[in-house]
Amino acid sequence: MPEWIVKLQKDFVTAFIEDNRWKYLVEGIQNTIILTFFALILGVVLGVIIAAVRTTYDKQYEEIKNPVGKIFLAIGNWICKVYLTVIRGTPAMVQILIIFFVIMASSDNKMLCGIIAFGINSGAYVAEIIRGGIMSIDGGQTEAGRSLGLNYVQTMWFIVLPQTFKNILPALANEFIVLLKETAIAGYVGVTDLTRGANIIRGITYQSLFPLLAIAAIYLVMVMFFTWLVELLERRLRKSER
Amino acid sequence: MNDKKLIRVSGLKKHYKDGAIKALNGVDMEVSKGEVIVIIGPSGCGKSTFLRSLNLLEVPTEGQIYLSDVDITDRKVNINIHRQKVGMVFQHFNLFPNMTILKNMTLAPVQLKKATKEAAEKKALEMLRVVGLEDRAEAYPNQLSGGQKQRVAIVRALCMEPEVMLFDEPTSALDPEMVGEVLDVMKKLAAEGMTMLVVTHEMGFAREVADRVIFMDEGVIMEQGTPEEIFNNPQNERTKAFLNKVL
Repeated sequence: MPEWIVKLQKDFVTAFIEDNRWKYLVEGIQNTIILTFFALILGVVLGVIIAAVRTTYDKQYEEIKNPVGKIFLAIGNWICKVYLTVIRGTPAMVQILIIFFVIMASSDNKMLCGIIAFGINSGAYVAEIIRGGIMSIDGGQTEAGRSLGLNYVQTMWFIVLPQTFKNILPALANEFIVLLKETAIAGYVGVTDLTRGANIIRGITYQSLFPLLAIAAIYLVMVMFFTWLVELLERRLRKSER
Repeated sequence: MNDKKLIRVSGLKKHYKDGAIKALNGVDMEVSKGEVIVIIGPSGCGKSTFLRSLNLLEVPTEGQIYLSDVDITDRKVNINIHRQKVGMVFQHFNLFPNMTILKNMTLAPVQLKKATKEAAEKKALEMLRVVGLEDRAEAYPNQLSGGQKQRVAIVRALCMEPEVMLFDEPTSALDPEMVGEVLDVMKKLAAEGMTMLVVTHEMGFAREVADRVIFMDEGVIMEQGTPEEIFNNPQNERTKAFLNKVL
């Protein structure tokens, strides 16, 4: 057997098998998935709320009769705009450092900090995706719903949002993929995510090739699996276009 | 036709851009129960704006609209209640593409607790049968032709059992061979005694079905009368000029 193959074999064993080092990667996968999943939920919840406030302000402000409601909506809209500007205008890395070392400096739960940091970051992008989706629906849809006597919320919920969701699914999936990969920077603040797992192995073994290739492959597989899920969902939603 | 006024409009104005554009510039009119009114006029004359004001899709700048003696322009009025009594048919159908035809028709009655799901579906199927589309109940709007879509849009509005129906250029987006099928449904509806306001360019329909024809231009009612008066003996110069162009 050529010598370089023997060396690779030995490196492989050092990287993953010895001392059960593969467990760093397994733990990393788990943490990356947990981090992404909950950050996604937080991001979508924030995104929906912000998009709702912003579109309601744009579409309904004139129609609202209660002056107190008007003031609340205007203030809410202003807060949302500030949030969008700040979050989209600063690097995610900087936001995470601020959350970890300033805002939540007293917290020991690194995972929670990570979820909050990535969720807040993702929420800004999701909000604009949803808002764009709502705006892309023909105004006639809203008019038809309202002319039947449905109120604004019913019209949004039954008519506009289902169509919006179908339209924004590709963009939303995109944002999810970006989020999944972006969690790789969580290692900088001590979350033992997948990338950090590989770095720990590198630190112990002084080997870079296998740990890095392994996590690249793992990220790729996760993204491919998710893309496949989204395609399934899209095909289901498209049934009304036969 | 009795003398009960279903709709009374007084001094209705709609201005855009702080009064630079006057889409409606003082419209007064009354609609009796069971009356079929056709509104004609050149494009940009305010006829669509007027029709859309009647269920407040356009919020008037000034003036009152009384629907069964309730002023719907009053800010305290819950407009959603009144919109249930005013059916509207749009130029571009505005069916909900994410729902089947049946769901399109039953969504509002069920959500607004006007009927149970079963009752609403039964009624929707009956109505589809009347317009010859009962076999398309489970189809999606994109699978229908323009004429079929508009017939569905009409019966969708009727499912709310409105007191008056507004038609905003219902045949303008249709291929010529489909205009007839939609007009037939509207004629049937008129014969059944439905109160209707129709903005249209179909002068034949106006002549045949209308109790009253209104000619609008520059945001006001220029002339109104029976179809014979308007089409055979128009008094206003604008009316004459318009009819010369379209007839």
